Amino acid sequence: MQFSNLNLDYFSILPEIITAVAGVLLMLIDAFAKKGGRKIGPIFSIVSLVATGVAIVALWPRANSTSFAGMIVNDHLRLYFALVVVVCSIIATLMASQFLDDEALPPGEFYALMMFATTGMLMMASAGDLVMVFLGLETSSIATYVMAGYRRTDLRANESSLKYFLLGSFSAAFLLYGMALTYGATGTTNIEAIRQVLMAGKVIYPQMLLVGGAMMLVGFGFKIATAPFHLWTPDVYEGAPTLVTAILATGPKVAVFASFLRVFAEGFGAPNAPDVGGQLHDNWIQALAIMAAIGMTFGNIVALAQRNMKRMLAYSSIAHGGYTLIGFLTTEYAPVGFYMLTYALMSLGAFAIVQMLARQGDAKTEISDYAGIGFEVPNLSFALALFMLGMAGIPPTAGFMGKFYVFKSAWASSPNLRWLVIIAIVNSIISVYYYLYPIVVMFFRPQAEGFIKPRLTAMAQVALDITIIGTLYFGLFPNSALRILQQKAPAAQQIAIQK
Amino acid sequence: MDLYLLTILLFLPLLAAASMWGHSLAWLSRVPLERIREHYRWIALGFAVAEFLLSLLLLIKFDSTTTEPQFVINIPWIEGLGARYHLGVDGISLWLVVLTTFLVPIAILVTWRVNNNVRAYFTSLFLAQVGIIGVFVALDMLLFYLFWEMSIIPMAFLIGVWGAEREHRVHATVKFLIFTVVGSLFMLVAIIGVYYYSGANTFDLIDITRVLAEARAAGKTLIPESWAIWFWLAFALGFFVKIPMWPLHAWLPETYVQAPTSGSILMAGVMAKMGAYGLIRFNLPLFPELSMKLAPYVMALAVTGLIYGALVAIVQNDLKRLVAYSSLSHLGYVVLGIFAFTSQSMQGALFQMVNHGISTGALFVCVGLITQRRQTREISEFGGMATQMPGYSTAFMIIAFSSLGLPLLNGFIGEILILIGTFSSTVPYAKVFAVIGAAGVVLASIYILWKMQRVLFGAVTKEENKELEDLTRRERLALIPMVTLAIVLGVTPMVFLSATDRSVNYVRSIVVQQSTK
Repeated sequence: MQFSNLNLDYFSILPEIITAVAGVLLMLIDAFAKKGGRKIGPIFSIVSLVATGVAIVALWPRANSTSFAGMIVNDHLRLYFALVVVVCSIIATLMASQFLDDEALPPGEFYALMMFATTGMLMMASAGDLVMVFLGLETSSIATYVMAGYRRTDLRANESSLKYFLLGSFSAAFLLYGMALTYGATGTTNIEAIRQVLMAGKVIYPQMLLVGGAMMLVGFGFKIATAPFHLWTPDVYEGAPTLVTAILATGPKVAVFASFLRVFAEGFGAPNAPDVGGQLHDNWIQALAIMAAIGMTFGNIVALAQRNMKRMLAYSSIAHGGYTLIGFLTTEYAPVGFYMLTYALMSLGAFAIVQMLARQGDAKTEISDYAGIGFEVPNLSFALALFMLGMAGIPPTAGFMGKFYVFKSAWASSPNLRWLVIIAIVNSIISVYYYLYPIVVMFFRPQAEGFIKPRLTAMAQVALDITIIGTLYFGLFPNSALRILQQKAPAAQQIAIQK
Repeated sequence: MDLYLLTILLFLPLLAAASMWGHSLAWLSRVPLERIREHYRWIALGFAVAEFLLSLLLLIKFDSTTTEPQFVINIPWIEGLGARYHLGVDGISLWLVVLTTFLVPIAILVTWRVNNNVRAYFTSLFLAQVGIIGVFVALDMLLFYLFWEMSIIPMAFLIGVWGAEREHRVHATVKFLIFTVVGSLFMLVAIIGVYYYSGANTFDLIDITRVLAEARAAGKTLIPESWAIWFWLAFALGFFVKIPMWPLHAWLPETYVQAPTSGSILMAGVMAKMGAYGLIRFNLPLFPELSMKLAPYVMALAVTGLIYGALVAIVQNDLKRLVAYSSLSHLGYVVLGIFAFTSQSMQGALFQMVNHGISTGALFVCVGLITQRRQTREISEFGGMATQMPGYSTAFMIIAFSSLGLPLLNGFIGEILILIGTFSSTVPYAKVFAVIGAAGVVLASIYILWKMQRVLFGAVTKEENKELEDLTRRERLALIPMVTLAIVLGVTPMVFLSATDRSVNYVRSIVVQQSTK
């Protein structure tokens, strides 16, 4: 590789630069501002996140370019996922100030950690190289490990944080080892170059590639919490403060899916490659199909038995991971990207409401605690009902469109996927029951004693409004999001751009 | 105007629902609480009546000489999916739309005294109306599905929050939700399947019907037979649950009984027709061959339900439950008529759909009024109402006669058309089914006459019944239009039949042509 070819285009990583600098500044604000930046922290974070969003939009005209010697890929996949990540972070940050006040937690480093996590997620979306994928993943993971244990005095939060850290590191090791083996087998860490090696049939150690691919699959499987690598999810989601759970379940998952798509659908997406390349493709498709089927079925069936809202949402997120994998198997970007967007909006909204209703220390997160609150706090209960219906896939919510688009694409893409679609539909039917349960409890049961109306700050209200409007908007007019992803040229055409 | 008429009709209830939350309006904030409720009631009624008057424009401007959908608006909706915002009305849906807009003001009038969460109540009612009208006017499969599901959730709220008894209504709501949502998910699979195999990359029902018909004319089958049967069944499952057809009716008695009167009216009056309408719109034109082949089985289910509903209705002690089962029985005739595939039977089925909306709706109103006064639905608690409430009893009697099919009332025309049509049908065993169907009429007269005898006639046996007041002005306002329509449609059915004639025969010709090949 020649240095003249490095293409050090700093503009192309402007979004990452903004969030990273903002994170550093937030730590300074924490140290020097009065009251630890309880007021200025969230405002500064929001402003920088909006600036990040603007930077991403400004990159639009340069779509389909690479920089930093192929480390950064700036295509519609990156732009779209980066936008989704930023929106997730904005919503989470808006909710954070109420959370920190309610829990009487120090505010400063939370916003800084949020920004660093966002930086990592953005890096994952733009990574064109296995090394970048790993860097992004670790940057965001380390920040979220700390956030999971943010309620220091709470044993459950400590357990959650430690569990998340141990299993997260474990899976990262898998991923890294897989990357190393892949590098050994192909002689490169650049995803596009790996693809070319596979297509040309020039793999140096075929067996090593297969092992490497499998290990990376395990690593990614951990991060997106799909069965059978989901075991950490319920405990971590339940123990972490609800807002952090909201963040864990959305932003990082969205970003990991971006990398996952890049590495597997693009790098290893060589169905007609000679010998080992084609074999690898068939293998990961098969493995993912099984993972999708297990994930959906397991997540939904266990969720049926849950009586705790956070655990229920944790298992439901495993099931949603399964649905997304069906979209993944089409190796198109649009179904995955759109599903992730709809899922993120609804999850953030649902967790936000759980957070507000939970009171200090997550005391009230059993579904039975919600009995009869329907008309007491209509703004929260109707919104939660909307998100539940959305997750169950009932129109006119975004959840319906997401599911519908995944099923439709999978049905059309290959006859082998049809059985998965049928399993998914059966799963949707099962899931209707437990998603409707909170609605029934909220509206149709007599009111539980000792219910105190939660307060709702203006910022949290804005966050809630964004999720509600988004859920309805993408349920009725998904075209705006779909169009971005459908512009993404198939991987095969990318080679020409690379050169 | 014609272009936007359906859109306005569709979104006016949405506006009505939104207006319920306009509490920041200055003149409302100064009104005391009890009066505010009154204001919202009037606003709701105003919107509902406006909607009805607007829908009359459809009747006036409708051109009954064509089978093409009218008042069509057809613009892209989701380009990435090939879904379009395609609305239109033809002879099949015309009367169902008007029936919906007709029943909503009546539902508001008879539940005027709902006192808890008035605004949420009217919001649910209007949102349900949007869904129901949407189902009847949507000509795009995805749009149809969207409205179909949209009608379910508000209805569940109506039952669960404003239903009869707290212990039972939650159970009824859950049952209703699970049955209907599961049914419609099957329908979704079929929609995706038809979309895929038609290969037209569109969800537009008219386009897909045409593509499939052209392929059939060219001797090709686009949807492989192994899949077609499953798609047919998946559609039918969604629709059968909604009608409901025996044996998928398990949700019906409890739900109808627990729902508030407005909910029962809408569910029995129009939501049940969504199912029958779906059969005519999807199953018949998309799978003509299969529909013909499966017709005897469907008819067998229909007559089973028809007899079963009537028999169970006879032994009911609960007045509302009796009406619920009679509704199950009546809808058996509708499905019987549709699948006999003769011009008369299908016309009769469509006519019966509207009749049933009026007569069962009115029966639920009558039952609702009397339960409101006595807080009980037990038939044995009543007796001798004719002397206490003469106005009420007259209306009740006319409606009951219309429901059992007395000549000169609307029910007669529908049933006789269906039975004659079925008898002359070429579907195997049709004659047997027609005879059994005729037996159902006898059973209907048993349960209806017996019920009337026990409720209306005889001596007043209970003390509580001696002080019942007759219809109030508001209640009269609700019942008189329904009674009038029952008589008008019974005397001059041609007004109705001429509008539906061509569209019905068009669908019929698709099925029959295919099977004679």
